[in-house]
Amino acid sequence: MNGVAQIQLGSFLLTYVLLLVVLAIMKKCRIRQSRLLVLASMRMTLQLVAAGYALTFLFDHPHPLLTMAYLVLLVFFTIYLVLSRNKRLNARFRLVVGVSIACCGLGVIAFFVVCIVRQSIFDPQYMIPISGMLMGNALTGVSLGLKSFWNGLEGQRARVDALLNIGAAPQRVLFPFVCQALETALVPTLNSMLGMGIVVLPGMMTGQILSGTAPTTAILYQITIMVAICSCVCLCCFCSLYFGYKTLWNAQQQVQF
Amino acid sequence: MACIQTRGLAYGQISYKDMDISEGRATFISGPSGCGKSTLFRLFNKTLSPTAGAVLYHGEDAAGLDSIALRRDVLLAGQAVFLFDATVGENFTAFREARDAAPLADEDMRFFLRLCCANFPLNAPCPHLSGGERQRVFLALCLSFQPKVLLLDEPTSALDQETAERFMTQVLGFCREHGMTVAAVSHDPNLARRHAENLISLRAEPEQA
Repeated sequence: MNGVAQIQLGSFLLTYVLLLVVLAIMKKCRIRQSRLLVLASMRMTLQLVAAGYALTFLFDHPHPLLTMAYLVLLVFFTIYLVLSRNKRLNARFRLVVGVSIACCGLGVIAFFVVCIVRQSIFDPQYMIPISGMLMGNALTGVSLGLKSFWNGLEGQRARVDALLNIGAAPQRVLFPFVCQALETALVPTLNSMLGMGIVVLPGMMTGQILSGTAPTTAILYQITIMVAICSCVCLCCFCSLYFGYKTLWNAQQQVQF
Repeated sequence: MACIQTRGLAYGQISYKDMDISEGRATFISGPSGCGKSTLFRLFNKTLSPTAGAVLYHGEDAAGLDSIALRRDVLLAGQAVFLFDATVGENFTAFREARDAAPLADEDMRFFLRLCCANFPLNAPCPHLSGGERQRVFLALCLSFQPKVLLLDEPTSALDQETAERFMTQVLGFCREHGMTVAAVSHDPNLARRHAENLISLRAEPEQA
């Protein structure tokens, strides 16, 4: 196998024609997200170009501090994005979410790179793509989990009130919402595991195959990363919700959300 | 003897006159919409804390009492009816589980349902019941805990006059028999007049600047 074929700039620009198709469909169905689509595709382009240059620089000048700085930035942005999508959380809940994502995310990343791939934690070639994939999935998972937790609570205010009023402990009343939200957050990851290899050839594996890695090596990476993603999403989400939901009541056992 | 008293009680913009809820009697609380009747009940069972003043339960400031124990003593059947999407019997079990209470015998469930004019089979699915029927099942659930003080917030809002009358007579009779204190909010002045042993009327009293 050879190295990957280069995409020419002209043909690269052609992909944006596909976006016009999306835009046309959105107009037809009156989905008022055309601004978001434009914004999202522009941000994606800029962010990826920036990431491309940053990564080139990092690989040319590998330095432990730079790798760590990249990681810190990554974790910071993940937390920031999760919190900006869940604005109604109280201050302590936000803190818990931040700490949970940082600790669980970094823990799984370190375990994966050091114990499974057996590479140095400072090696940008492994550290950066793997942490990106894990944190990206944590971002989607925790956002989804928090959103579903909050929607569940708000939709069932009568249930919360009724059970508190008959003298049930807040923990008892709210815990089912934690379980429900965790389940919702995990389902996309589990579903993608189900279809993997049959319908979906996942991004990491595709990337490795495109760049000339033997498919057998690629699947080993893919399987381990899938398991790591699953546990990363589960841990981040569980810690955010489990330690976060305890901030919803005070010493007087009064629930506020 | 007074079971619940308020002293200089206020919550946000609402301030309450001092009142005494007598033990073992039925007190009805009336007042215009928005005068803080439901809030008062939440202050009584400490799901809210007052911004000023105090609620006394048997002479002790509720702020110093264990909230969960207090709510089990002073049980509030709120205005918003909630039932799990399950059968009537399963709802009894789920509610009692939420309080870590032992399940009730079928006989007892039927007794409390009958008491609340909700004579439905235990395997009737709650989502199929009408608004008024759900309200009565919910009240039967609350009553089955036999709290020392039962707070009823608009217990008959979804019931026709005849059923409301029968419901009130039966429930208050049961409570009197068991020495339970009842405080009820009702929009129906006739119902209050006929059943109240005490009447408290609240007026919208904006806090003095």
